Amino acid sequence: MRGPPAASGAGSAFRAWVGFALLVAAHFGVRPLIGGRASVDFLVIAILFAAVRVRPGLAALLGFAAGIAIDALVPATFGAATLVLTCIAFGASWTKAVFFADHIALTGLFVFVGKWVFDAGYVLVGGGARGVDLVVQLILWSPLSAALTAAFAVLLLTALRPLYRPQAI
Amino acid sequence: MARSVRGGGRLDTGLVVACVVLAVFALVMPRRMRDSVSTALRSTILSPLVLLEMRASTVRAAIASRNDVLVARGRVVTDALSANAVADENVTLRRLLGLSARLRDGFVAAEIIPTRGVDDDFTLTLNVGTGVGVLPFSPVVMADGLVGMVQSADANTSFAITWAHPDFRVSAMSVNETAFGIVQPHLGTGAERWLLELRGVKFAAKLDTGTLIVSSGLGGTYPRGIPVGTVLGEIATPEKWARTYLLKPSVLPAAIGPVLVLLPQRATRGVNGVWTNLAAADSAARAIAAAGDSLARKAALDELIARRAALDSASGSGAPSDSVGVQPLMTPADSARADSVRRARSARPDSVRRVPTVPPAAPPRTGPPPAGAR
Repeated sequence: MRGPPAASGAGSAFRAWVGFALLVAAHFGVRPLIGGRASVDFLVIAILFAAVRVRPGLAALLGFAAGIAIDALVPATFGAATLVLTCIAFGASWTKAVFFADHIALTGLFVFVGKWVFDAGYVLVGGGARGVDLVVQLILWSPLSAALTAAFAVLLLTALRPLYRPQAI
Repeated sequence: MARSVRGGGRLDTGLVVACVVLAVFALVMPRRMRDSVSTALRSTILSPLVLLEMRASTVRAAIASRNDVLVARGRVVTDALSANAVADENVTLRRLLGLSARLRDGFVAAEIIPTRGVDDDFTLTLNVGTGVGVLPFSPVVMADGLVGMVQSADANTSFAITWAHPDFRVSAMSVNETAFGIVQPHLGTGAERWLLELRGVKFAAKLDTGTLIVSSGLGGTYPRGIPVGTVLGEIATPEKWARTYLLKPSVLPAAIGPVLVLLPQRATRGVNGVWTNLAAADSAARAIAAAGDSLARKAALDELIARRAALDSASGSGAPSDSVGVQPLMTPADSARADSVRRARSARPDSVRRVPTVPPAAPPRTGPPPAGAR
């Protein structure tokens, strides 16, 4: 009686990791094709989707690794993405109880807030923008990008439910 | 259980604290160190992702440049098309220049003014008028032959009908003067509307396909010898006592561009030898084309000198004097004429003999070619 659930749990975890890997690959392989100042952040979706499935410590590690990957490609702000993504992943995992419900709209809101917080934190910590540019970035481009990311996350959750269904890994 | 949860909580806290400390350290580490760390990451564990991002960027650049390539290709095509149009216009103008050189005087060059009207297909508005001597009934010609006739003129503009106009008529004959008739538009339908017909040809005169039809000079409007068209074939009509031939116009509608208007005194004086003369009718049209071409002129001049040298040596060795008589039919502009003259001489020696025999020993010239030899 305990066999099938264990197998099902392993399969679910495998699917979740595949989904995570696909999103990471999309971040580096698809995002550059889209371009523009407001674009879908696949890596944030991957971190948020994974964070609600794992313990906060592991989520923080995932956020750290993803942040290092981003920072390695942008050495000027090295460490900023790492710090912000670590905090976001830990926070997302810690607050997963709020979003435990398999609710599309809540997930969308969750991703929207996560992405906006990530952008705001990255800009503030990294110091990439100042003055008017900072304001425009925070109240225009970041929300736009967050909305796009949230919309894509909802689409993903709807279309590829077996991969991204919120279950423990 | 509670210990486990507390242990897990401590582990989570420891992990997140460690990650945050490392991230802060990465943030504040010296620039040289962060560069070396990021370089090491990019070249090791992140290299597949870096490669992936690089390829994606390359694809995006290719897509962006593809648009530029298409735009550039479109520009090249447009330029090529306009270059063809310019080349066509250049050919037309060179041919017109050749015609001007052969006419010498008594004409005015005219441009066609685009108009919008019911009769646009059959009428032309020209930018010359009575101010330069253009009068009604003045013939309008191109290098290829007859275009039409001025119908009315004011001080600065004139209106001409083309050969396709229903009122157009010209007295015409075959170039060998065996058949006479009246050329008028073939009032058919479709593409046949743009043909001519030669009516009233006596029944005994049978014309072969391809025979050149020229104006006969009868009637006084069109001087003798302007190409009108070539015979396509005979068509059946109720008139059993005369033949009617379908003609392909010498000047095609699409080719009508800059034209020459023959002034009345030139029309009266005649244009024999400009397009046609009795000895070299076919080659004269080619001469008009060649007269505007300086390269052809130079080549013809070289050939003329060579032939002259050959003829001189031949006459010195007792050759018949008739062979020298062929020479005046050649002009520096027309290397091809020698062939048709040779053909004419072998076929109709009498007509060749009508030509003046002793040419002036003109020195080689580099300017416009002389008018057609008579």
